[in-house]
Amino acid sequence: MSAFRYESQVRPPLVAGDKNYHQITDDIIRPIENRPSKLWWTGFLVSVLLLCFGIFSVTREVIYGTGQWNLNKTIGWAWDITNFVWWIGIGHAGTLISAILLLFRQQWRTGVNRAAEAMTIFAVMCAGQFPIWHMGRVWMFFFVLPYPNTRGALWPNFNSPLLWDVFAVSTYFTVSLLFWYCGLLPDLASIRDRAKLKWRKFFYGVASFGWSGSTKHWQRHEALSLVLAGLATPLVLSVHTIVSFDFATSVVPGWHTTIFPPYFVAGAVFSGFAMVQSLLIITRKVLKLEDYITIEHIDVMNKIIVLTGSIVGIAYLTELFIAWYSMSPYESFAFMQNRVNLLSPYGWAYYIMMGCNVLSPQIFWFRKLRRNITVTFFMSVIVNIGMWFERFVIIVTSIYREYLPSGWSTYYTPTIWEIGFYVGTFGLFFTCYFLFSKFFPVIALAEIKHILKKAGENYKAKMGPEESETNEEFAHEFEHAH
Amino acid sequence: MSEKKYWKSFGELNLSESYKKDAENEFREELPMESFDSKGLLDTKTPRRDFLKYLGFSTAAATLAASCEMPVRHVIPYLNKPENMVPGVADYYATTFVSGGDAISIVAKVRDGRPIKLEGNTMSAVTKGGTSARVQASILDLYDTARLRFPVQMVSGVPQEVTSFEAFDKLVSDSMMGQQTGNMVILTPTIISITSKQVITDFLAHYPGSRHIQYDADSFSGMLQANEGSYGKRFIPSYHFNYAKVIVSLGADFLGTWLSPIEFARQYAQGRKIDEKAPAMNRHYQFESFLSLTGANADERFAHKPSESAAVALALLAAVGGSVTAPALPEKLKAGISQAAKDLLANKGKALVVSGSNSIQVQTIVNAINEAIGANGTTISWDATNLTRQGIDADFTALIADMNQGKVSTLLLCDVNPAYDHPDSKNFKSGLAKVKTTVSFSGRLDETTELCKFVLPSPHFLERWGDAQSRTGYISMMQPVIAPLFTTRPFEDSLMSWSGNKTSYDDYFKQYWTGKLGGHEAYEKALQDGVIEPAAEAGTTASGGIADAPSGVKALYNAGSLAQAASAISSLKKGGAYELILYQQVSMGIGSQSNNPWLLELPDPITRATWDNYAMVSPNFIKDQYGIDLSDHNVSDKFESHPERQVIRIKANGIETSIPVVAVPGMPDGVFAIALGYGRQSADPKNTGNYIGRAAVDAGKNVFPLAINNGSTIEWIVPDVSFEKTGDEYKVAQVQIHGSYEGRTSVIKELTLNEFVKEPDDILDDRKKEVAKFGGDNYETEGTLYPYFDKPGIHWGMSIDLNSCVGCGACVVACHAENNVTIVGKNEVLRFHDMHWLRIDRYFTGNLADPDSIETIFQPMLCQHCDNAPCENVCPVSATNHSSEGLNQMAYNRCIGTRYCANNCPFKVRRFNWADYTGADSFPNNQDNQGVGKLNDAVLMMNDDLTRMVLNPDVVVRSRGVMEKCSFCVQRLQDGKLKAKKENRVLTDGDVSTACQQACPTEAIVFGNINNSKSAVVKSRQENEHRLYHVLEELHVLPNISYLAKVRNPESEAKEKV
Repeated sequence: MSAFRYESQVRPPLVAGDKNYHQITDDIIRPIENRPSKLWWTGFLVSVLLLCFGIFSVTREVIYGTGQWNLNKTIGWAWDITNFVWWIGIGHAGTLISAILLLFRQQWRTGVNRAAEAMTIFAVMCAGQFPIWHMGRVWMFFFVLPYPNTRGALWPNFNSPLLWDVFAVSTYFTVSLLFWYCGLLPDLASIRDRAKLKWRKFFYGVASFGWSGSTKHWQRHEALSLVLAGLATPLVLSVHTIVSFDFATSVVPGWHTTIFPPYFVAGAVFSGFAMVQSLLIITRKVLKLEDYITIEHIDVMNKIIVLTGSIVGIAYLTELFIAWYSMSPYESFAFMQNRVNLLSPYGWAYYIMMGCNVLSPQIFWFRKLRRNITVTFFMSVIVNIGMWFERFVIIVTSIYREYLPSGWSTYYTPTIWEIGFYVGTFGLFFTCYFLFSKFFPVIALAEIKHILKKAGENYKAKMGPEESETNEEFAHEFEHAH
Repeated sequence: MSEKKYWKSFGELNLSESYKKDAENEFREELPMESFDSKGLLDTKTPRRDFLKYLGFSTAAATLAASCEMPVRHVIPYLNKPENMVPGVADYYATTFVSGGDAISIVAKVRDGRPIKLEGNTMSAVTKGGTSARVQASILDLYDTARLRFPVQMVSGVPQEVTSFEAFDKLVSDSMMGQQTGNMVILTPTIISITSKQVITDFLAHYPGSRHIQYDADSFSGMLQANEGSYGKRFIPSYHFNYAKVIVSLGADFLGTWLSPIEFARQYAQGRKIDEKAPAMNRHYQFESFLSLTGANADERFAHKPSESAAVALALLAAVGGSVTAPALPEKLKAGISQAAKDLLANKGKALVVSGSNSIQVQTIVNAINEAIGANGTTISWDATNLTRQGIDADFTALIADMNQGKVSTLLLCDVNPAYDHPDSKNFKSGLAKVKTTVSFSGRLDETTELCKFVLPSPHFLERWGDAQSRTGYISMMQPVIAPLFTTRPFEDSLMSWSGNKTSYDDYFKQYWTGKLGGHEAYEKALQDGVIEPAAEAGTTASGGIADAPSGVKALYNAGSLAQAASAISSLKKGGAYELILYQQVSMGIGSQSNNPWLLELPDPITRATWDNYAMVSPNFIKDQYGIDLSDHNVSDKFESHPERQVIRIKANGIETSIPVVAVPGMPDGVFAIALGYGRQSADPKNTGNYIGRAAVDAGKNVFPLAINNGSTIEWIVPDVSFEKTGDEYKVAQVQIHGSYEGRTSVIKELTLNEFVKEPDDILDDRKKEVAKFGGDNYETEGTLYPYFDKPGIHWGMSIDLNSCVGCGACVVACHAENNVTIVGKNEVLRFHDMHWLRIDRYFTGNLADPDSIETIFQPMLCQHCDNAPCENVCPVSATNHSSEGLNQMAYNRCIGTRYCANNCPFKVRRFNWADYTGADSFPNNQDNQGVGKLNDAVLMMNDDLTRMVLNPDVVVRSRGVMEKCSFCVQRLQDGKLKAKKENRVLTDGDVSTACQQACPTEAIVFGNINNSKSAVVKSRQENEHRLYHVLEELHVLPNISYLAKVRNPESEAKEKV
């Protein structure tokens, strides 16, 4: 066995299909240079329509007030903050893939990181809509910013988790955007260099910031990527931790839970990977990128899903235990009556959450199912439904019946405009994603080339003879080399 | 060390021209600064390297400029300032609330010419400053948009304006021409005004043979006639609940709607205020056919069928030793009656029985009972009789017959509405059509008025002079506090001018009282005080406790009518399988204020429902008929969290009414209870909004026609009704849907008197145990990780005695009026969007299947002004924060409406403006919303310029999108502090009071500075240490409101003790 064997014995190559550099460039940039398909147009138009419905719904809410939603004196938040946390959670996978996996030198990330990062950015954009438009007086939203004003020394309240959210989410968005764009630079330059159309040359020329591919550029690019990865890594943990503080620091039974920060982060990664799966399974099919986003990628992400899903499951059980162990009548009511009791008004939501998040991902212990694309796609949707319900369960089933029974709420169902807002963010997300897939390389072109030589037939042809030598043979050859 | 220089190129070494040029152009890009550096800006160039400098300067400059003060804008003062009026300073005038026969002495607060708030007149010996929800809300009636604005003549059902009073007088006299004056009838409610009565007497004298008939929709005819039989006097005596150790009420809702609830609630509460050192309180038995407000407060409550109510009275008489045979009754009821009787007899002379029945026989029996227990002359006194109800039902029934027979040619109606509120309204209407001249003196075109030929609107009571004698010798004066808003004239003026008296009523009034009181000064003093009363009653306790009755005037009892009454009751028919009782709510009463959104949105204390009436039924009814078992908490959770209620069709007296059913614990099985006062409707329903009012449209069903005229009196019980299920559902808007407090003893603490005597430390020990681990006695400072701050100066606090609170809701409406709390309409209440700053939570305990076991508790719930408020630290913009005086305050302008504070409020007292309820929004004209969140017309009515005159200018009207909540009436606190400051003295209790505190008829709410050891609130806390608790104390939110636990005094335990 050769000491120089580089190819993994257990892992198949990260890029299939024996590609060379040119083929990769062609494969990935082709969708950008070609006219979009009918499928793309259909999807794009549907997304724009959804977005318009969302804009209409929000406009109505801004003009007529938050009463356009079915929130009430007891349930101050429901779909709005549920959707916020859900979208923010989805974003986490992108950052985890791009930052943490970069630091951990997980090479498989290169196949999925670009799309995942884009997903992060769009998801955070969608998430940001909710805390903004859920305000009763959204035109005064700038009150949350610490800016010099005419009101004397009037600052926002730095004690409020909502303010921490403002900083956490905006930092997260900024860093994610920079990270994503920084990675895009060499790829944009590639497109520019290949471009034949004038506008494309101009557009990508401007967008690539004069990237020339010099060694200095590459060196700085790598350094910046590492720095941003370093910055983004704590953000993966901090953003959802801070989002969980919205609940954990309150006095509401069912919210006031110290386990929330790790549990939220795990849940976020869980739902984020599910979303990545959903998106990439479609993307690889539509853009014919099966060689780059391989079944191996899907397999490894499914492993993360089953891991994080189980963490979330343990968190759920811990909550139940603490609800009993704390002997707080309010806490135990919130968990045992509002949630665990299937016949209580929202009992069904708890069981959807449990079923989707804890039970169903356990099928991924089986390799066969992990590597089945249909099952994976189905599961990715199930997981995201489950995670939506997790947030809904936490928010609504905690506050709708809390301390004073006199305030227990009537049954909450969303209005058409609440649904419209949510659907509208899907419109926003997919509009962005469709534009992204049309105008940007959905796979990190430059990065995937880094890993090309480490696997595949091409590699085998050149390195194979050397690898088949024994150490002694190799040493002998080395000594007698001229 | 030598300074060597390394060169990078020969160009650099030789400093060639090309090198120099390259070096200069190394960074070619220029920042686009030319535009402003070409000229000006101190003529400096701004090269790239100065960018940060300029950025810094401009930011600093912008900050500096922006931090300058905003320009001050001045409002324009009066050009000619009216005398005795300081803009922005309120004036207070004593006057009187009058509605039908009810009269309550009040003080009207007038700001810049507009009355905006009514308070009880503390000088009145009857109410002692207490008010009711209806009194509080009546200020809004002044600005009612549906008020008739000028005299009209109805021409084929359409009102035609009559331009002047002279023209009107002429029209009426033309119409009356040639008729026999003997056929003229004046129909009024009970007239308690001495001058009005005189005017009517003079008028009748001028037209010989004409008659005056008093008609009370809420009639006490049965009692009046029974008293005539028993005591030879057609009077209602004065009741003294404060002298009674045992009170038995046979269906009388004396704390809510019966006779004089403000007075009775105060007296009753006196006997329920507990002195810790010697705990004692009255015991209250209630026998009734539905769960009334009074029944909800009772120590022992027995539910029975309406048809049994006469038998219960008879059985009680038998049990207290009356010479009658007890009728057959269910065992449990019998046991209750004998318990009550035993208690009554044991407390002879300190006991009182009242009955809400309008049957002559029942009231005759009750007189006999009161005679047997020595109430006559002690708890019932005849020296100052109650004059508020004088109408005799039979008189009015006779009038209807006369009208139908054409025996009445002219009918003058004043503030009566029999076409709506008389059971036989159909006959009345047909009779009215046969009267040639019908003149109504009513403020609006109600059901009766629109059928009259001539309508001369009468002024609101705040626009007129007058007097009211609600008890013999107790007179309350009325004076106008605002010039009449519309072309109105008191009916007395019309009567005087039509009987040839040329003086105006105002002059007549002044002359009468100046003469009577012996001079102008006395007259002015009377107006200033608002009351003319005999010297204070001896033995009235100010603070509480059951006093001994002074030797009152005893009426001579004559048992002559007793035997006949007893036999009449014994021969009464048994009730059917289903029975009906009609009752009044504290909000609507008989419906004379039914266009009042404050009252319509005041939740019923029992059902917590708004904007509708409905049939209260027992939980068993819902279970038997619809299979909804409310004792299964999963079923009840689902049921109560949806507002849809089943609709049934009730048939009684051949009349059918569809009405939703609301299951109420404590209702006896087989009984429907429906509130009167709803379902106002004009002859043409399209006109209801204009004639009766926009808020009254579609509010409930009119059930007056279901009542029974038993030949002599109107009775509100129908012993045999049938019903059928319609299969429809109707949404009932309740502001509270869950009735149990789930055993959460840190929310509600209650105990029995016996327990309290045995273990007075129970509650205190519980509290100590709860906080022992978190600092114990130093819980406040040590129960937290955060630093503790001293609370010097004023620190506001409130103490609410759950034992005194009867749940009447006066405080809720007072809060509306004082703080411009908006109403949201039924659609929004259904969506749980109600805005009450102060609500009265109602909880039930007991076995749902057994109505007698149900116990009710009321808990006023408002912002607790926590010193460690969870709402404050979560607000991202500090819109809600803590004042140095312990107030949790809202800066509405700062609020951006994240609603986080409301989520984090354990008491759920924060209220969010979900829509533009007030018209104060940044988006104008956005109340036209259709579809989701459509606003009721009532909300828009409240935005009318006329209605908005009721707004308190000291309180901001909140716009859509901001959170609001109780402020402890901070405007009053500021006012009180200023008053003390101007007088250069320390603030005392008398300087400040919150609106709820002031309105409370039972003084359940005490408010003041808890840093002042002499303040009432500190005293209340110190003297009641053993009952004191804070709601959810263990959360360490440190509320500034404390509650005193409820103490019940049930008989069963008393037996154990013996």
